[in-house]
Amino acid sequence: MLDNLLKIKFKNTSRGRITDKISKIVFMSATILSASFIFVIAGIIFIRGVVPFTTDNLGVGRVSLFHFLTGDVWLIGETFASNLYSIGFIILSTLFITLLSLAISFPVGVLTALFIAKIAPKPIAKILRIVIETLASIPSIVFGLFGAGVILKLVYDFSSSIGYQSKGGNSILSVVIVLALMTIPTITTISEVAIRSVDPAIEQGSLALGASKTQTNFKVVLSSAKSGIFTAAILGIGRSLGEATAVSLVAGGRRSGLSFDLLDTTSTLTTIMLEGLKETTGIDYDIRFSVGLVLMVVILLTNLMLNAIKRRVGVVHVKE
Amino acid sequence: MSKNKRRKTYDTLLNGITYFASSISFITLLAILIFIFGKGYKLLNIDLIAENFESQGYVADLYDYARLCNCESDIAFDEGVYYSSKWGIALADQIDLLGKNVIQIIYVNPKSPLFEIRDKGIGNEPIELRDEYHIIRIAFDNYPTALSRYGAENMINYLNANDELREIEFQTKGGGIKGSIITTLYLIALTLIIALPIGIGAAIYLNEYAPNNKFTKFLRSLIETLTGVPSIIYGLMGLAIFVPITTKLTNATGGNIISGAMTLAVILLPVIIRTTEESLKVIPDDYRQASLALGASKTQTTFKVVLPSSVPGILTATLLAIGRIIGESAALVFAIGTSIKDQVSLTGKSTSLAVHIWAMMTDEPANIELSATIAIIIVLIVVILNILIKLISSRYLKRKLGISI
Repeated sequence: MLDNLLKIKFKNTSRGRITDKISKIVFMSATILSASFIFVIAGIIFIRGVVPFTTDNLGVGRVSLFHFLTGDVWLIGETFASNLYSIGFIILSTLFITLLSLAISFPVGVLTALFIAKIAPKPIAKILRIVIETLASIPSIVFGLFGAGVILKLVYDFSSSIGYQSKGGNSILSVVIVLALMTIPTITTISEVAIRSVDPAIEQGSLALGASKTQTNFKVVLSSAKSGIFTAAILGIGRSLGEATAVSLVAGGRRSGLSFDLLDTTSTLTTIMLEGLKETTGIDYDIRFSVGLVLMVVILLTNLMLNAIKRRVGVVHVKE
Repeated sequence: MSKNKRRKTYDTLLNGITYFASSISFITLLAILIFIFGKGYKLLNIDLIAENFESQGYVADLYDYARLCNCESDIAFDEGVYYSSKWGIALADQIDLLGKNVIQIIYVNPKSPLFEIRDKGIGNEPIELRDEYHIIRIAFDNYPTALSRYGAENMINYLNANDELREIEFQTKGGGIKGSIITTLYLIALTLIIALPIGIGAAIYLNEYAPNNKFTKFLRSLIETLTGVPSIIYGLMGLAIFVPITTKLTNATGGNIISGAMTLAVILLPVIIRTTEESLKVIPDDYRQASLALGASKTQTTFKVVLPSSVPGILTATLLAIGRIIGESAALVFAIGTSIKDQVSLTGKSTSLAVHIWAMMTDEPANIELSATIAIIIVLIVVILNILIKLISSRYLKRKLGISI
């Protein structure tokens, strides 16, 4: 009420009216500028991304969209002189890798969150929270370096111990491990918030019915927090799909042939974008935007699908 | 009773699993720290960080087709520089960062047999001998080896006395972390100059001015969506928009610090807007009303009352932004490029510390030691920033609490 009165008064004073208008317009344009970037990004990637499919690429020839999306060889022939780019196998291996890394990071992340929120003694929980925060703030390139320096060696030793000659450890397995380690902090942080916001009345109800503390934690708390935990998984997937530099250091750069062999080299949508990049014109340059476009579509579709599933899973008794 | 016991065992097992899961994060952090410190500690040295690193050593010999050039140089060399016209190479005595006497290459004639030489190590790529490389030794058949400790004049004399050489061992000039540090600092400054005014302005609009309607909600959701875009996509945007803009307006020829900073600014906008808005939200309305009641205009209230009270929030946003700039790699690979340079200019090619790591690791052979050293620097800065953010927010909360009582 007072607020409104003041507003009326303030509107009626002529002093500062013009400067107020100007400053409002300036602040508003800053907001609109910030918000418009999402369109700028989507627009420019689309415009550049369709070029290989719509023009003849300076004489190289048009790229067939169907072949691009379904083929299993990235670039046949000389660079800058071929239109035979296809990423079908890369899309599949990207999804496969994301799924596998989530299979590790999701249970580990959620259990860590449960441990911090409900099980751990206070000092341990405090330390662990600092550990998770620090891990979350370590830049991805450092994870990549760690992957290249440590995980590649471990994977190489493991593969040679079972009689398999891997290419220096560059493999799906290495990528999966690096991505899992990177997404654990994300999943833990968000799951912990979800677990903490579970209504204590539900827990007390469970305990009153004779369930043990552990049974309550695993059966009641986790299932009550499932909506938030699901959000954590969605964010983890998003991070895995978009991660580029760390993955490129351990993937090995596969150029052809779909392979789900854990110890074989691989490529993801992001690593293939990072390869080469010598020219600033021509198909070798433009094709990266096509891959970027595909990556954005993949992320968008995955998010839509997961959000649809999340709505089905539903929200259960979460204290807002 | 036995059922009870079984349940207890089962419960202990389940709890044990959570202990195990939690230990993974702990072990990961520990392993990363041990790895980067173990590998990078040796090179961590103030002088080396401020200057250029010595990193790669090669042993090479001549290609079969290499012929003595007997080319006179038309360049006038300084005193202390020795030129062999027979081999087309000029050498000089220098003292390196470790205080050792070394022989540095001053000039290699393009026609020199040493201009392109064969790597005797792994890989069949020809390697090129360039200025500023250090020669360690040159070995000949049936002749004493010319070692760096005998000086440049001696080495040139030995070269002139021979028509063939068996092998040459030399070190390339290091990667130049100094350049990457300067670039990173430039990037931080420039990005903040671009992003802070826009981000703070947007936060002020959203919190102080924006009507509570659908359009505002729409704007908010658009800004929120930006946080979900992978950084490599931002990099593509920078490559497609900001790089051409900067090359057109300045003398830049490709990715440069300005285009990198513009791209980073877009990445950071949502972070800055959100953090600043959080801090604006907790400013009590009494402040605004008191200011307005005293006859101040809305603009005066915003700049003299609201903004000063939100300084801790803006500071937090700035620190978060710095952390992100230092760690960002994928976007910058595209928006600024991967060429590691010692001479940094705003419109020239250079790269940030994080991309420096990436560039070295994707190079053959990968330079893990130097990468780990840079990683130590990056992780230390990020941890310090985190602690600062914690301190600011806890002190801020305390002050806020004091006011509300």
